[in-house]
Amino acid sequence: MEIKILGPGCPKCQTLERLAKRALEELGLEAKIEHIKDPKEIAKYTFTTPALLVNGKLKIQGVPSYAKVKEIIEEEIK
Amino acid sequence: MKFLWNLILSGFLALKEYIALHVLTCLIPAFLLAGAIVTFLSKDVILKYLGGSAKKIISFPLSAISSIFLAVCSCTVIPIAAGIYFRGGGIGPAFIFLWVAPASNILALIYTGAIIGYDMALSRIIVAFLMSFLIGLLMTWIFIKEERERVKEFAVIDTENEKVSIIKKKDFILLILLVITLLAPNYLVPKGPYFKKVIVFLIFSGITFLYAFIFKTKEEILKWLNETLWFVKIIFPLLLLGVFIVGILGGILKREWIEPLLGGNRILSSFFATIIGALSYFATLTEAPFVHTLMKFGMGKGPALALLLTGPGASLPNFLAVSRIFGLKKAITYAILIIILGTFSGWFIGNFIF
Repeated sequence: MEIKILGPGCPKCQTLERLAKRALEELGLEAKIEHIKDPKEIAKYTFTTPALLVNGKLKIQGVPSYAKVKEIIEEEIK
Repeated sequence: MKFLWNLILSGFLALKEYIALHVLTCLIPAFLLAGAIVTFLSKDVILKYLGGSAKKIISFPLSAISSIFLAVCSCTVIPIAAGIYFRGGGIGPAFIFLWVAPASNILALIYTGAIIGYDMALSRIIVAFLMSFLIGLLMTWIFIKEERERVKEFAVIDTENEKVSIIKKKDFILLILLVITLLAPNYLVPKGPYFKKVIVFLIFSGITFLYAFIFKTKEEILKWLNETLWFVKIIFPLLLLGVFIVGILGGILKREWIEPLLGGNRILSSFFATIIGALSYFATLTEAPFVHTLMKFGMGKGPALALLLTGPGASLPNFLAVSRIFGLKKAITYAILIIILGTFSGWFIGNFIF
C-alpha cells in the first residue's frame, strides 16, 4: 500500500500525516508515507489541501477525525 | 533599563488595544465565520467554474470574489492558485486568486475594519479587486502565446457537469446569522460602554448557536468548530507575536522618521509603503495594527492602503513560491506589476478619494 499526503507543509498537513502514521501503526501495516509538497504535483490531484491518497486514489480532503482516517485506511486493505 | 521596560510595556499595551479589546466583538465571530465558510461552502464546485475555457468576464470576477471567502492563510492560497493554473484554468484567474486572497480575505477585511475603520476596509477590497483585474489582464496579455499553447492541452478535461449547489440554504442562513453577530455589536452600540457591546454579542451568538443546534447535525457543528479552531491555532499565535512587535516598534519609532518617508499622499510615500509591504512578510492580520501604528506617526491614508494590500499580498517567500510554480519570468513580472500598481493605487486613493 502506498500513501501520499498532499500539502505544502502547513500545520494541517502535518496533523493529517500524524493521523495516518498512527493509523498504520495501530493496524500493524507496513506502508510508505510520502509527503508531497510540490504545488505542481499536488495540482494533479486536488485543489484543496491537505489531502490523502491511498494507492493513487484521492480518499481524504481536509483533516477528519482519527477514527475516520483509520476507517478509510482499514477499508483499503480489505 | 527604564527604556527597555517601557518598550515591553508598549508591547503589552498594543496587545490590549489590538487584540484584547477585539476578541469578543471581532475576532471570535470572524473566526467562526471563516470556519463556517470553509466547512459549508463547496470549494470544488466554485473552482470548477474557474476552468480555462470560461470567459474572462465570468472567470475574473468569480475568482476575485471567491478568493475573499476561500482562502485565509497563505498555506491554502498557493495550492489553490496552482490548482487553478494546472487543472485547466487560465493564468489570469490564478494570479487574481494569488493576489486577492491574502490582500483582501474575509478575516483581514473584518479586522482592518475593526482597527482602522470601515472606510479603509472598503477601499481595501475595492482596490484589491481593481488591481487584481489589471494583474490578471496584463499577465494574460504578456504571456498570451504560452497560454494559448498551454490551455490547448486542457481543453477536454473537466467536462462532466454534475449539478451540485455551492451552498445549502440552511448553511447560508447560518452564515448570515454569523455576519449579523459580527456586525451587530458595533452597529447597534457604536459608542457606549464595552459591556453593552458584549451583551449584544452574547444575544446574537446565542441565537446563532441555537439555530445551529436545531438545524444542523452534531457532526456538522463539530466540523465547523474544528475548522474554526484550526484558524485560531494557525493564525492567533503569530498575531499575538506580531502585535507585540508592533507595540515595541511603536515605542521606538519617531514622527520625524516616518513623516518624510511615508507621510502625506505623495507618490514617493506610496512607493516606499509598497516596497516595505512587498519585501517583508506579514503574518495574516498583523498588517492592520502595523499600519494603524504607522498612521499614528503620520503615514498618509494612501500609503497606508498600499501597505495594507502589499503587506500580506506579497512578500519574498511568496515570490519564491510563485516562481517555483509559475516560473521565474512570471514571478518577476508579477512582482513588478504589484509594485507599479500598488504605488499608483496608493497615490490615487490618497489624492482623489480620501
